[in-house]
This record gives sequence, C-alpha cells and structure tokens, in this order.
Amino acid sequence: MEKLPLGLALDLRNVVPYKTGSWRTLKPLYLMQTPPCSHSCPIGNDIRGFLRTLADQKDYEAAWRVLTRTNPFPATCGRVCPHPCEDGCNRRDFDTPLAINSSERCVGDYGLDNHLEHKKDVLTQRKEKIAVVGSGAAGLSCAFHLAKRGFKVKIYEAEHEPGGMMRWGIPAYRLPKEVLSREIDNILKLGIELECNTKVGVNIPMDQLTGHYDAVFLGLGAQKGVSIGVEGQDSRGVFTGVGFLKDVHSGRKVQLGRDVVVVGGGNTAMDCARVAKRMGANVSVVYRRTRNEMPAITAEIDEALEERIMFRYHTNPVKIITDDGRVVGLMCVQMELKEADASGRARPVPITGSESVVPADTVIMATGQDVDYEGLDLAKRENKWVSADEQYMTSIPKVFAGGDAVLGLETVSAAIGQGFRAAMAIEDMIDGQTEGHLARPPVVFSRDLNTYYYQQKRRFAKEAIPVHERLKSFNEIYPAFDRDEILTESSRCFSCGLCFDCGNCLMYCPDNAVKVTQGGGRYEFDYDFCKGCGLCVKECPCHYIQLTLEK
Amino acid sequence: MEIKAEDLNRVEKKDLFASGHRACGGCGQALAARLVADAAGENTIACVATGCLEVFSSPYPDPSWRIPFLHSLFENSAAVASGVEAAYKALKKGPVNIIAQGGDGSTADIGFQCISGMFERGHNVLYVCYDNEAYMNTGVQRSSFTPLGARTTTTPTGNKTRKKNLPLIAADHGIPYVATATVDDFRDLQRKVKKALAIEGPKYLHILAPCPLGWGHTGDLTVLMCRLAKDTCIFPVYEIVEGKVTNVQKVPNKKPVEEYLKLQGRFRHLFKKGVPTEPVAAIQEIANQNIEKFNL
Repeated sequence: MEKLPLGLALDLRNVVPYKTGSWRTLKPLYLMQTPPCSHSCPIGNDIRGFLRTLADQKDYEAAWRVLTRTNPFPATCGRVCPHPCEDGCNRRDFDTPLAINSSERCVGDYGLDNHLEHKKDVLTQRKEKIAVVGSGAAGLSCAFHLAKRGFKVKIYEAEHEPGGMMRWGIPAYRLPKEVLSREIDNILKLGIELECNTKVGVNIPMDQLTGHYDAVFLGLGAQKGVSIGVEGQDSRGVFTGVGFLKDVHSGRKVQLGRDVVVVGGGNTAMDCARVAKRMGANVSVVYRRTRNEMPAITAEIDEALEERIMFRYHTNPVKIITDDGRVVGLMCVQMELKEADASGRARPVPITGSESVVPADTVIMATGQDVDYEGLDLAKRENKWVSADEQYMTSIPKVFAGGDAVLGLETVSAAIGQGFRAAMAIEDMIDGQTEGHLARPPVVFSRDLNTYYYQQKRRFAKEAIPVHERLKSFNEIYPAFDRDEILTESSRCFSCGLCFDCGNCLMYCPDNAVKVTQGGGRYEFDYDFCKGCGLCVKECPCHYIQLTLEK
Repeated sequence: MEIKAEDLNRVEKKDLFASGHRACGGCGQALAARLVADAAGENTIACVATGCLEVFSSPYPDPSWRIPFLHSLFENSAAVASGVEAAYKALKKGPVNIIAQGGDGSTADIGFQCISGMFERGHNVLYVCYDNEAYMNTGVQRSSFTPLGARTTTTPTGNKTRKKNLPLIAADHGIPYVATATVDDFRDLQRKVKKALAIEGPKYLHILAPCPLGWGHTGDLTVLMCRLAKDTCIFPVYEIVEGKVTNVQKVPNKKPVEEYLKLQGRFRHLFKKGVPTEPVAAIQEIANQNIEKFNL
C-alpha cells in the first residue's frame, strides 16, 4: 500500500464527490419556447431570430438570411404588413412593443441594396414539376418555397406583370413598385419559370395543368370588385375599388373631377381615397358604421385622416344621382347601430327620412371583392371563396389553393403564410408523408418572464414626411431608416424563450451545477449535482428554463 | 494595493467552492460562499466558524473548498483568522487573502468579542458575515440578528426585539472598510469582496443570505427575497469607507414591507385574520428609519 502523507488517513485523490443530484424531485431543462411575435405572425417568421442576430452580431446579412428562410418579401412586408407581431410582443406589458415592422423593412432593404440572393435548401433538383397559378403574394411564396426544396416550378400569370394585388392594389406611396419588382426578381432567380398573359381556365384549360404537373397551386386572389348594388351604379364616373386602383397603377388615364366619394371602410377604400387625394381631388369616405368597426388597418385610417380625407360615418349610399349618364352626386341615408350581427360588428339600420346628397364627380365603390372563377370549376365556401381542407387541397385532387381566394380578404402576410404552408403540404403529398409536422413549443407570455433584468428603453419611431409634401406625389411616405437606430431597437428584444447569454443561471446556482458548454451552445446543467431548487428557473429573464418532474 | 476598475467589476466564476455540498436547495449561504470564494481567488485562506456553512461544505473526505480551509469553534473564527495573519507575518510569507467567515449567530452573539478584538487589534483580515437571521444549523433558533416579528422555534409568537445593526457597530471600531451586500446582486457582492481585500486592515462584509428552510419560502425565491428586502428598505445596501457612509444603493421604487413579509412563512402569523396590524406597522417603521438614516 502506498504510504499516505502525514496526518492523512484517506487518499483524498480517490474520493468521489457526493452526488447531490439524487435529492432532486424537480428537474430544470433548457428548452426553447415559441415567442409571441412568431406565434402571432401569419407567416411564422423567426422574428426573435432576426432581431437577436441584429442585436448580438450586428450582422444585417445574417438577419436577412434568417427572415428569408420563411418570408421572401421582407422589404414588402416591412412596409405593408399590419404587424400583428407587435401586438403580441411581450414588451407591450413592460414599456412599448418592439418596432418589428420597421426592423423588417430595414433588413429587407439591406438585402435589396446589397443584392443578396436566396439559396436553395437542397442541392439536388427533383424531377416533380409544379404549376402555380397567379403570381401574387400566395403564389410567389408557394413557388419560392417549392423551388428552394428543389422542385421545378412554373407560374402562370394572367396579367402582363407579376405581383398580383401587391402590384395592382397597393399604391406606390406604401410600397414602391421598384421594391416589389426587385424582390420578385430575386425569387424568380431560384429558377422559377414565369409565363405572363396566360389566364388559366381561359387561355389554358385546368385539365392540361393537372395532367401535365404533379401538383397545382392556385393563388387566384380576389380581383373582381363587387358593388353593393345601388341605383345608377353603371353610370360614367362610377368605379369599383380594385378597378380604380388597377386603372391607376397600370398607367391608364383616369378622370376624377373635383369631388370623389369612396364607399367602404376596408383597406381598398383607404387606398382608393388616398390615391384620389394625391390626384388632386376632394375626397370623402362614406361608411355605414363607425371607425371602430372599420376593417382597414388602423395606421391606414390614421394616415388617411392626417391627409385631410373626410370620413362620413353612419352613412350608407342609396342612390347615385346622375345627369346625362354622368355622376353628379351620391344620395346617402344616415344609419343607426343596433345589436351585433353574425360578424360581431354592430348592425346598421337606416333612419327613415334622413336622406341627403353628397356632391360627387366620381364614386368609388370599395365594398367588396370576389374571386374570378372564369373557366374554373371549384367547390366553394359560403358560395364565394375557394374551399380548401387543412392540407390546402381543393375539391380537385392534387390542386391546392391559398391566399385571398381561400381566406376571404386578408393581408399580404397571411397570403405569404398560406403559400408557405401549402408548399410544405405539396411536398408532403409528393413524398407520401402523412404524419404532421412537429408541434411548436408553448408560447411565452409576459407572466412567464422575469422583467427585473430588462431596462425600459424608448421605442424606435419612424418619421413620415409632412402631409403637404406627401400629397404632391406618389413617393413613399416613410423615408429609409437609419441602420444604427434599428440595431439599437433590435437590442430591446426580450428574446422570449431563448437564451441570450445573460449568465444568471450560471451565477445564481447555489450548487454550482450550471456549466458553460464546451464549444457551441451556452450552458448545460450538471445533473449529478443539481438539487432542483428552481432558482435558475425563477431568475431566467426569458423563460428559457423549464422545471419538470424528475422521473 | 490599487485595483483596476475592470478587475473590480469583472464577474468571477472559478469554482473554488465546488458542487457536492450538502446545503438545502436554493441555499443563500452556499451561493454567497461561492461568490465570495470566486471573487477572492486562489490565493485565499478561509477560516470558517461552526454553522451551516461549515457543516454542509466540509465533511471529510469530500470538502467543497478548493482553497485552504480552517474550521474553528462557533466563537473564535475571527481569533483564528487573526492568528493565521500573525503567523504569516511572523514567517514573513504572503501576501495572502485571509477571510474569516461565519453565520449571524457566530458573528453577532457567540463570536462577537473575538470579532471586536480582531477589529480593534487591526489585523489584515476580511470578516464575512452570512446573515440568515437565525441559528439555522441547529434548527432555527433566535439570534440577535433575528428581525422584529419573525417566528423561530424559540420565539414562537414572533421575535419581540429588533435586529442588531452590526455593520454600524463594526464601523464604530474605526476600521477602514465596512459594506453590506445581498446575493441577488452578484456583481456588487464580488466587487465589494475585491475592494475589501485590496484594503489593508480589518474589514467587515455583511451579506444577506436567505435561508429557505428557516424563512419559510421555497428555494427558488432566494434571490427574490434579497431583492424585496432591498426594495422594501428593510436591508439597506451601502459601504462605510473610513467612517463615512458612501455608495448607498438608492431605492427609486420603494415597496411596502408587506410584499417582503407575506412571502415568508416566519411572518405568516402577522397576516392571520384577527391579528392586530401593529407588528407590521412597527416593521414598516424600521424600514422608514432606514430610508431616513441612509437616504435611500
């Protein structure tokens, strides 16, 4: 036996530490959670991912790569999306939500300015061919994701240029046409074929597509303006909302006259009113309920009000007054609001004897849109929208659909999201995969966070150019943002549900049972010694650590 | 010895107080001991009085200490540390950081005369008191650090006296450095340890280290307890350098003491139905006095 040093009875070099992990009844785990921003994003963008990339690495290109994993239109969405992500942001309960939308635009613009190009997920080209009908937000998104997965994609577009409602519906002061064109070109560079001036169902029958392709995606959109049916609506000077916008955006000469009345309270109505205002007309909007019930994006209504557009609430058109076949006025009736109808909004009822005439040289009926079904035989929902199942498949096998035609009237982001998920469904169908994708982890809410560790900071505020300047042209009303300011803004992100290396768990563990992971990763638990006290769980600012029952 | 600002503010994690100790889950003292040892560094001798810390961290043959460790009696860790310092001086060795450590019982009650002597003789020793406000090691008996109203096994209806203010007593010995800290602000705690060790002479550091068992809260609330103790002004955090109170941590958003008391089992009897509210008001009065005294 080896002789021990004086005074020692045991060789301490061979002592095994006492493993206190055996005391544990609860076990902490590092688990990534879903942040509320991604949860409320119709596309499911990795918002936390791109913001933390900006904040930690200050790398715009990497942030652009994170965003374009799901969304091929960051510059477009950064301008037109009503950003439900910001409504979800947990910072709302702390100070103010992050300016996610502005950050997205800044990242998207960086991509365009630096000519960043999309990369394919897979290197091999697949033999299956897929046709996409319509090159709007849904169609292009679906084509983009399929092309990234190696499929051969061809888009059929009825118009002479791609873009759908993003091109023909959204005015240039919100979305400059150049931004849209460049983002579309970038998508097409993935090897997507585009055939314009070809209307499926008219120029080319549907059967030919289903016979020739392995799958078809219909991103039809809702291009047909619907009037509510008032007397005199066929007179000269009466437009539908989408018809008017398309005429303006395709460069046709439109004579408006002095007074323009827009009927409706949706986004199309706001766009029509603001376009007409920029064309020098006196614009008023007629809506039968109040501002609270307007379906338009809040910011759009605010900007319209700033631009001195008059809103007549509780007013409904009954008759278009004409002189020699040309509009001279719009007879309206006052409405009162009664109990809510099926849509949850107050039901307007006319007040008898309250008719009055609003002078008008042009009436724009932005009162609804329909899908153009010419030459297509599809099952319908509510006799109006395309019916599609959970896998986005329509009544025709192997024919998928998404976007406005399925959803009813929705946002660009919603259409992109549908295109994305339909692309996944198409791939699953071709691969014969019937199992669903993994469910996302639970969402982190404000009550889960430990906001002691965050500091209140001012939110980035985008500045619009003054109203009198705006109205002179169709130039974008928000000039480009300062990239350094966006970096500062991104550092406000709480990083809900993902470690951002604050070191609290490492420093607070009374048992020294948190270790820095060697190479990659951040921290790991030493379960030999962790007693499961839960201190790290409580002191994790972003709810990245979960306490589970020890087996 | 001057110390650079970046060294002072750096957070230290050296694992000099290793895993495998027998403290309860969420122990504030174990956390504080590691933070102190890591801040002091390898060139340190720890002289620890009897108490929880000694019991859970030093069973032979598997101690948690990765630095030299001396266990003394309940009352004489300061005296032992004084002796270590004198021995180093006599042998002309060093410099070395000598840290005497003890719980609140060994500091304020049993070992008080040894500490007072150490301060008065001017030994170059840092004394760290882990204040968990009762004798937790022997099963939660009242000490002179037990706050007003707290229930212990020897004060079943709540403590009738208020806590002894040892930092001020230590400062009145005329020692160069006295500070208070809590385990929730580890940056501040480690900064104070490093700052103290850079000063020649006796130093006193008072650390609030919640005891989940004795205080009657779950182990995950240890850090929150410290934070609330500061936010309710029950435990002011400050430094006394050369007799002058400095670096007082201001409390911009002061909270009522109920928020701190209600989370702890040892104060639960104060909030039972039909119990008069005077004791809580008296505790609030102590917090108000702290606000006035330290201008929180």
